[in-house]
Amino acid sequence: MSTLAAVELSQVTKRFGEEVTAVEAIDLEVGDGEFFSLLGPSGCGKTTTLRMIAGLEFPTEGSIRIFGEEMGIRPPNKRPVNTVFQSYALFPHMTVFDNVAFGLQMSGVDGAEIDRRVNEAIDLVQLGGMATRSPKQLSGGQQQRVALARALVNRPKVLLLDEPLGALDLKLRQAMQLELKDIQQEVGISFVYVTHDQQEALTMSDRIGVMSLGKLLQVGTPEEIYESPATRFVADFIGETNFIDGEVVAPGEVRIASGDTVRARTHSPPGSKVTLALRPEKLQIHASADGIPADRCRLKGRIHRRIYYGDVHYYEVEVGPSLIDVMVGNRPGLQIWSEGTEVVIDFHPEAAEALTE
Amino acid sequence: MTQLAEHETVEVSPELEHKAEREKARRGFFTALPSFLYLIFFFAIPLLVVFVFSFASRSRTGRPLLEDWNLDSWSNILDPLVAGIAWRSLWLAVINTALCLLIGYPFAYWIATRRRVATRNLLLVLVLIPFWSNFLVRTYAWRTLLDADGLITRFGEATGLWGQLLFTIPAVFIGLLYGYLPFMVLPLYAAIERIDWSLVEAARDLYASGSDAFRRVTLPLSRPGIVAGSILVFIPSLGAYVTPDILGGARATLLGNYIVSQFGAARNWPFGAALSSTILAVMLIATIYYFRSGARTL
Repeated sequence: MSTLAAVELSQVTKRFGEEVTAVEAIDLEVGDGEFFSLLGPSGCGKTTTLRMIAGLEFPTEGSIRIFGEEMGIRPPNKRPVNTVFQSYALFPHMTVFDNVAFGLQMSGVDGAEIDRRVNEAIDLVQLGGMATRSPKQLSGGQQQRVALARALVNRPKVLLLDEPLGALDLKLRQAMQLELKDIQQEVGISFVYVTHDQQEALTMSDRIGVMSLGKLLQVGTPEEIYESPATRFVADFIGETNFIDGEVVAPGEVRIASGDTVRARTHSPPGSKVTLALRPEKLQIHASADGIPADRCRLKGRIHRRIYYGDVHYYEVEVGPSLIDVMVGNRPGLQIWSEGTEVVIDFHPEAAEALTE
Repeated sequence: MTQLAEHETVEVSPELEHKAEREKARRGFFTALPSFLYLIFFFAIPLLVVFVFSFASRSRTGRPLLEDWNLDSWSNILDPLVAGIAWRSLWLAVINTALCLLIGYPFAYWIATRRRVATRNLLLVLVLIPFWSNFLVRTYAWRTLLDADGLITRFGEATGLWGQLLFTIPAVFIGLLYGYLPFMVLPLYAAIERIDWSLVEAARDLYASGSDAFRRVTLPLSRPGIVAGSILVFIPSLGAYVTPDILGGARATLLGNYIVSQFGAARNWPFGAALSSTILAVMLIATIYYFRSGARTL
C-alpha cells in the first residue's frame, strides 16, 4: 500500500467551448486499492471526469496526478490506467484473444508472456474456451467480461470503468456487481467507477462521490452518503426521501408546515429555513400516539393512499399540507391501513436530517 | 374457447405460411420486373450479341458475317500486341487506383471526422460538383489546360519542372485521377463515417500510439470502403476510353481505345467482341475474388 493517492484531482475544470462547463473545480483523492464511484445523473460531468483521468480529454484548468505523477497533457497511451468503456468498445475485427492481447502487444511484451497473461486474464473473468470467438458471437455479459479482461491484463495502476454494467439486464447486473467487487479485491488495484445507478454505487463502493451539474457535491462512504446527505440533491438522488420545508425554532428543533415541531439533526441557529429529509423506511405508522416511546417524534396524519409493491407497502400520509411517504416491509400479520384512516407517524430524531441547501 | 385457439394454431402454421411466403415472393418479383426487363433487353441481350459476334467471320471488306462460325478471334487474344496493350492498361489502372486511394483516403478521413453534419454534407456536395457537368466537356477542359499554351504547361515551363503534358502518359494519369477520385472518396467516406470512434479511443487507452491505432483499428475498419472504392475506380480505369483518347493521343493506346478501333477503323468486329468478352470475364472473376477476400475480414 502506497501512502500516495492513486488518483488526485485538484481544481480540475473542463470547459467545452465558451458556454459549456462540463466539470467545475473538482478536488478528489482516490486511495490505493480503493473502489471509488462517481455517481450522478447523465450530463453531470462524471464521464468527462473519468475521461480526463484516462487522458481522452484534457482539463481546461487544474491538475491530475496518478500516484503523485502529474499527467498534464500526457496522451492516454502513456498513462498507467486502463478503461472499461460503456459500450465495451471491443474490436469487432479481432478475436477475444486478440482483443485482450492488444494492450500487451502495444507495450511490446514478448509472445510467450502475452499468451500466458491473456489466458490468465480470460480465466479470471471466466471466459475460458472463448478465446477464438469473435466479440459478435458473445452475449452482452460475456462482452463485458472481455472488456474487463482486456483492461486488467495490462495490470494498470488504476482501472477506470464507465457505466460498465449499463447495458445488462437487472439480474445479470446484480450478479456482475458482486463479481466486479470480488475481482477488484483479488487484483487489489484502485477502481474508479462511473455510474448513474445509486444502488450499484452503494453496494460496490468503498467511497462515493456524488456529482451534479459539473460539481462534486459530497464524498463519503455509502453509509455517510445515504444516512447524512449533505444537500437536498444528494438526498433526493440516493434512495427515496420525503422533503418537508421547515424552520429551526430552537437548537435541534424544527417547526414544519403542518405546525408541528419535531426534533431533528441540525446545527443551524434558530430562525434558519431548512428542509427536513426523511427516508420512508425510517418512519412507522401507528393507530394512536399511545405506546410510542417518548424519545421519538410523532406527527398526526391521515392515510391518503396505499400502494402495493409486493415486497413493501407504500403509504402516502397527509400531514398538514404535505404528503409523506412511509414504507412498510411486507411480512405475515402486517396491519394494513385503509385509505382515510387517522394515524400517527413516528420516527427517531436521528432519522430527520435538516438540510440547508 | 381454448379448443378454438388450439384449432387455429394448428391450421395457421405450415401450409398457410408457405402460401404467404410464395405470395410475398411473387409480389417482390413484380416490383422488380421493370428493372429486370430493362436489364434483360438493354444489358444481357446486347452482351450476348457481343459474345455471339466474337465467333463470326468477316467479309473481305471487314463486314461481320453471321456465318462460318469460327474461333479465329479467340485465338488472336494472346497476340503480343494485345498483350502489351493489356499490360499497359492493367498497370495504369492499378496505379490510378493506388493514387486515388492514397489521395482519397486522407481526404475522406478529413471529411468524415468533421464534427458538424452540415460541414460534412457541404464537403460531400463539393466532391460531387464535377458530376454536374459532362465528363467529355471536363476532359476537353483538361486538354486546354495541358496544351502547349495551357496554364499548366506554362507554369511547368516557367518553373522548369515539366513541359507540355498533353498526349503523354502523365496526362492520362491526371485525367483518370481527376475523373475517378470521387468514386474512391464516397465509399471511403461512408465506411470511415460509420466507424465507432470509441474503438480508436480504446486502442489509445491500450497503449497504442496515434499511428498504431490507425493501423490496427481505423484502417481495418474502413476496409469495406477501400474494397468498394478500389473496385469502382479500377474497373472503369481498366476500360477507360475517353480520357486516354483525348489526353493520351496515339502514344497511349489502352484496351478501351484498342477495342473501339476494332469496331471502327480496323473493321474487325469479331476480334473486338472477343476482346470485350475476355475483359468482362476477367474483371468479373477479379471482382468476385476481391469482394470475397475483403468480406472475410470485415
